[in-house]
Amino acid sequence: MRKVAIVGIGHTVFGNLSKFDLVDIMSYASTNALDDAGIRKERKIIDQVFAANVGACLLNGQTGVASSMASRIDLEPAMAESIENGPASGASALKCGVMAIASGMADVVMVTGGEVMRSVTGWEGTDFVARMLHPEAEYDYGLTLPAFGGMFTRLYMERYGLTEEELAMVAVKDHENGSKNPYAHVPYTCTLEGIHCSPNADIINNVIAEPLRLYGMCPVSDGGASLILCAMDSPKMKYFKNKPPIRVSGIGSATDTHCVHHRKDPLELKAVALSAERAYKMAGLGPQDISFAELHDAFVILELAISEEVGFFKRGKARESVVKGETRIDGKLPINTSGGLKAKGHPIGATGVSQVFELVKQLRGEAEEGRQVKNPKHGLAVNFGGFGNNVVATICSKE
Amino acid sequence: MVDIYAVDFNKYRPPKAVVYGRKCPECGTVDYPAPMLCKHCGARRDPSGVEHSSWEKVPLGGKCKLLTWTKLYALPEGFTDRYLLFGIVEFESGLRASARLLVEEPKFGMSLVAEAGLVREKVGKDAYGFLCRKPEKS
Amino acid sequence: MIVDELERKLRPPEMPMVPYPPKLITLASGEKMVVREVRREETGVLLETIFPLIGVPDDFYDIVAVRMYSEVLGWYRYRVANEFVFVGAIDGEIAGIVTSRCVDEKIGISLHTLTVKRGLRVGAQLFAAKMEHHLEFLDQQEVWIVAESPIGFRRWMIEYGLENAEDRYPEIHHELGGVPTYILTKEIYNRVRNEKVTGVRPVPPEVLSTADELRPPEEYPQIPGYKRSKQKGKAS
Repeated sequence: MRKVAIVGIGHTVFGNLSKFDLVDIMSYASTNALDDAGIRKERKIIDQVFAANVGACLLNGQTGVASSMASRIDLEPAMAESIENGPASGASALKCGVMAIASGMADVVMVTGGEVMRSVTGWEGTDFVARMLHPEAEYDYGLTLPAFGGMFTRLYMERYGLTEEELAMVAVKDHENGSKNPYAHVPYTCTLEGIHCSPNADIINNVIAEPLRLYGMCPVSDGGASLILCAMDSPKMKYFKNKPPIRVSGIGSATDTHCVHHRKDPLELKAVALSAERAYKMAGLGPQDISFAELHDAFVILELAISEEVGFFKRGKARESVVKGETRIDGKLPINTSGGLKAKGHPIGATGVSQVFELVKQLRGEAEEGRQVKNPKHGLAVNFGGFGNNVVATICSKE
Repeated sequence: MVDIYAVDFNKYRPPKAVVYGRKCPECGTVDYPAPMLCKHCGARRDPSGVEHSSWEKVPLGGKCKLLTWTKLYALPEGFTDRYLLFGIVEFESGLRASARLLVEEPKFGMSLVAEAGLVREKVGKDAYGFLCRKPEKS
Repeated sequence: MIVDELERKLRPPEMPMVPYPPKLITLASGEKMVVREVRREETGVLLETIFPLIGVPDDFYDIVAVRMYSEVLGWYRYRVANEFVFVGAIDGEIAGIVTSRCVDEKIGISLHTLTVKRGLRVGAQLFAAKMEHHLEFLDQQEVWIVAESPIGFRRWMIEYGLENAEDRYPEIHHELGGVPTYILTKEIYNRVRNEKVTGVRPVPPEVLSTADELRPPEEYPQIPGYKRSKQKGKAS
C-alpha cells in the first residue's frame, strides 16, 4: 500500500464561533493547512477534498459542505465528498483520504473537519447529538450521550473501584495541558480542590449525568481542523519541503452494536479494541511502541476506558496510572497532550482531524512550551463515534 | 357498502401503551428493537410485510434486573423536567433494554417491573417505552 | 443625617434590612471568591467595572450592563427602594456583580446578574447568593424574576423550577419592562437550596481582607484586546 504522509496541518481556535459561517470556519482551517504546507499558491495540486461534518443540515441549514468548501478556497476541480460518521467523522474522513491515496485515485488530499453547534441552544445541541442513538429504543426516552457516559461510569466505578477523585484528577491533567494550547476552548486550569475537595465543589462541579459531573465532560464547541496528505512516492512531494513529513503508519476502524443494551458486557468497547488492533497491524506496531496518545474523552471516563481497550493498561487499571501521574505530559505515556476533548473542546466533525493535528504537532516537535512530549516516535489517536458503535484509530509516526 | 358519513370514534381512544419486541419466524429469537436481519439465523424482516414476514409482535415487559443507571440533569430540547432517571435493565428471558426508572434510589441488581408507558410526546405519534418501578409487595 | 425636605420627598421609604454575611466560594480553578455586600463608597469602582460592557451587544451584555449601571447609580443616589448589591471578588478584583431589591417584607424583585469572569459559574453562584439573602436572611416569601437572555433564563426556569406567573399579569408584574414574570417561592427554594447555594462562613479574616479594596477587572473576555488604561476615563 502506498505510504501516506501528512504534510500540512491547520486549526482554528475552538469555542463559540457561532457568528461565523460553518464553511468559512472550515475554509479558514484549510487555508491554515495550505499555509503550513507552503502551497497556498499551488493549491490546485490538491486532487481530493474530504470534509467531515455532522450538523450542517440540522443545525446550520446547509448541505453539500465539501463542495461548498472546495469552491470557497478555490480548489475546483478537485474531487470532493462530505463524510458523516457522528463524532468519528473526522478520523473517518482521514481514513477516506488514506484510502484515496492508497488506491492511487489521488496523490494529494485535503481532509478538513468542522462544526458550528453553538448557533442553537444547549438543549437543542443535546437533542442533535442524541439523534445518533437508536430512535425508538434510546432517543425517544430522552436518553443522551452523557446519560450513557453516566451509566458507563457508574458500572465502571462499581466494578473497578474508580473514585470521583481519580476522575477529577484526569480533568485537572487535561486542563493543565489545555491551558497551554492556544486553540483550546477552555484555556484555564482547574484544581482538585476546586472541582473535588472544597466544601462547595459539589455545587461548583455539579452533577450532569450522575456520577458524571460538569468537569467530567467536554464543552459544546465550534471550530475546524485540517490536514493535507500526500503520497510519499508522488512527484508532488517536491512541494512539501517546509516541514518534516509525518507518516500515517496505521489506520483502522470497526463498528459495535448500535443499541448499548445489545452489548454482552456494557463496559467492553469492542470497536475501540478492534480499530486499534487493525491500526497496530497496519503499522507493524503494538501498544508498547506508542509514545503518546489522543483519546476521545468526550466524557473523562472514556480516556481511562479507551486507554485500556487499546492495550496501554489492563482492564480497570488505568486509574492507577492517573494516580501515579503516568499520563501527564512529563509521564511515561502522556495522554491528551492537547487538553483532550475536555479542555480543547469538541466540535464533533472536527475532533478526529484535530486529534491527528495534535499527533503531527507533537511528532514535529512544534507543541507549545510546557506541553511538548520528549522525543515522541509514534502517536495514537482514537476517535469514538456514537457511544462506541463506530470507532477509528490512527497511528502517526516520525519518518 | 361503506357509509362514508360514519365516524370511527375508536380513533379517539388513547392507544394502549405497549412496547413490542419482534420474534424471528425461523429460529424464534425475540429481539428489541426490531432488527432487519436476525442476529442468530440471518432471517430477514420486511417492515411492510409485503415480500417477507414483518415478524410476530411480542409485547415486552415484566420482571427485570437493573444493570446500571444514571440520574440525568441535562435533558434534551422538549423535556422540562429537572432530571430523569434512566437505566439498562435485563428481563428474565435475557433480553435487555434501556428504560426510564421511576425509583429514586436505584441499586445494582435491583428487581424492578417494567411496564410500557409514554416516554415522549410527538405530534401524531407518541413514543412508548419501558417505565420501571419497584415490584409491589405481594 | 440632615437631608433637606425636597430630597426627603424624592427618596423612597426605607425598609430595615439585615446585612448579608460574606461567604467564601472556591471556584473550579482553585481561586477563592469572596461574596459580599458592597459599600456606598465602592460605587465608583462598580460603575467603572460595568461601564465597558455597555458596548458589548453579544449575549445581551449591553442591556444588562446599562440597566445594572442605572441600578447601582439609583441605589447610590437613593432613588431605588430597598436595593442591595453584592460582588464576587477574587483577590479584590471584581468577578461579578448582582443587584436585587425588596418590594416589601414578603416580596423581593431580582434585578440583574453580571458576570465578568466567565466559565467558572460566578454568575450562577452570585444569583444563588441573592436568592439566599431574600429567602433566608431577609426571610421573604417569594422573589420575582425576569431575564433578558432567553438561554440563561431557561436555565433558571428549569434548574430552579420557577413558578410561571405570566397569567397573573398585571397583578404580578416585574418592573423590568413588563415581560413574563416567574416566581421563586420559599417552597421551591427550599427544595433546590442544597444543590444551588454554597459557600463557607465565616470567611477567614486573611481572605476577607483581600476583598477590602475592590478593583475593576484588568481584562474582559467579552472585549478581546481591552486593557484598562492608567489614565482615568480612557481605555485602549
